[in-house]
Amino acid sequence: MANAANPMELLPEKITELVHELSVLPYDNMHHEGPVTGPFVLTNYVVWGLIALATVMVLMIVVSSREKKQMALAAQSGDVRALAPANRLVSVIEAGVEFIRDMAVDVIGQKDGPKYVPLLGTFFFLILTSNIFGLIPGGKSIGGAVGGTVALALIAWLVFVWVGFTKNGFIGYFKSLIPSGVRAMPLAARIGLGGYIFLLEFVSTFFIRPLTLAVRLFANLYAGHIILGVFSAFVVIFMQRITAGGLAVGAVSLLFLIIMYAFELFVAFIQAYVFTILTAVYIQSSVHASEH
Amino acid sequence: MEAGLLAIGKGLAYGLAAIGPGIGIGIVAGKAVEAMARQPEMAGRLQTTMFIGVAFTEALALLGFVLTFLLG
Repeated sequence: MANAANPMELLPEKITELVHELSVLPYDNMHHEGPVTGPFVLTNYVVWGLIALATVMVLMIVVSSREKKQMALAAQSGDVRALAPANRLVSVIEAGVEFIRDMAVDVIGQKDGPKYVPLLGTFFFLILTSNIFGLIPGGKSIGGAVGGTVALALIAWLVFVWVGFTKNGFIGYFKSLIPSGVRAMPLAARIGLGGYIFLLEFVSTFFIRPLTLAVRLFANLYAGHIILGVFSAFVVIFMQRITAGGLAVGAVSLLFLIIMYAFELFVAFIQAYVFTILTAVYIQSSVHASEH
Repeated sequence: MEAGLLAIGKGLAYGLAAIGPGIGIGIVAGKAVEAMARQPEMAGRLQTTMFIGVAFTEALALLGFVLTFLLG
């Protein structure tokens, strides 16, 4: 192995290994042939997703029950110091919840925004926690498999389509896909231009939105995992060669790996944020559909 | 022969799909920085709008990325 003529010859093998490790496999059998296709298999992604879900649930329930207790205590004794966050973890979670609430009010509006905070908060915290778990070597993120992101995108899609239909009525929602300016035009323009815009908007709202929501999360995380894997493979391949050149390339790869790891932490946050804010924007366009 | 052409096609599919969104995201981010420099007090809202704009622009590149896998 180590004395192969050209270290790059070892790379294709490593890449195959890497893609295999990133594919959906049964959680107890890493050496399963190819990705799982059966419907009722407990896969590594499902197990790690459940771990992320359990972590978020436990954190939120513990923190919120303490907050409720402290609020009752503050109301009873009049001592506002009881409302202060107990430690750093609690302050981070409070800041996160506040961030989501501000975003919902900002995007959806003062009146309708707060209603969607639980949904948006669940998306944000679940995706963020899961993405961070996906960066642990051996860990998996929900966003790393197409199935996971499609499930999340379908929930978001169901919510904004449901909101659109209940707020505007069945006909009203379809009508609102055509801008009000076009609806005021003469009949010929209304049929020609309106029909064309309706077609575009229909495809965009009902197919492109959920598709891009799912694909964006998957593609970003999958690409990130591949980059980290390739640089790890570089480090392993070149560090085996005890020559000055081999060690130098290995050291540069290692440095780059660490930088990319930090960047992937940033991507983990940004993708959770983008998914949440796009869901909020889509819900906003359904809530206020009749206004534009 | 066919496998080689397929590999070239995959590379081209993603590479060509990335050109437009690359330029687009550059314009979005550049304009956002310009706007933030003019009005720093609006930075928060501009950032939110910028991320939405980037996310919409990015979608086209992502379709190319998925196409790369579909071709295989």
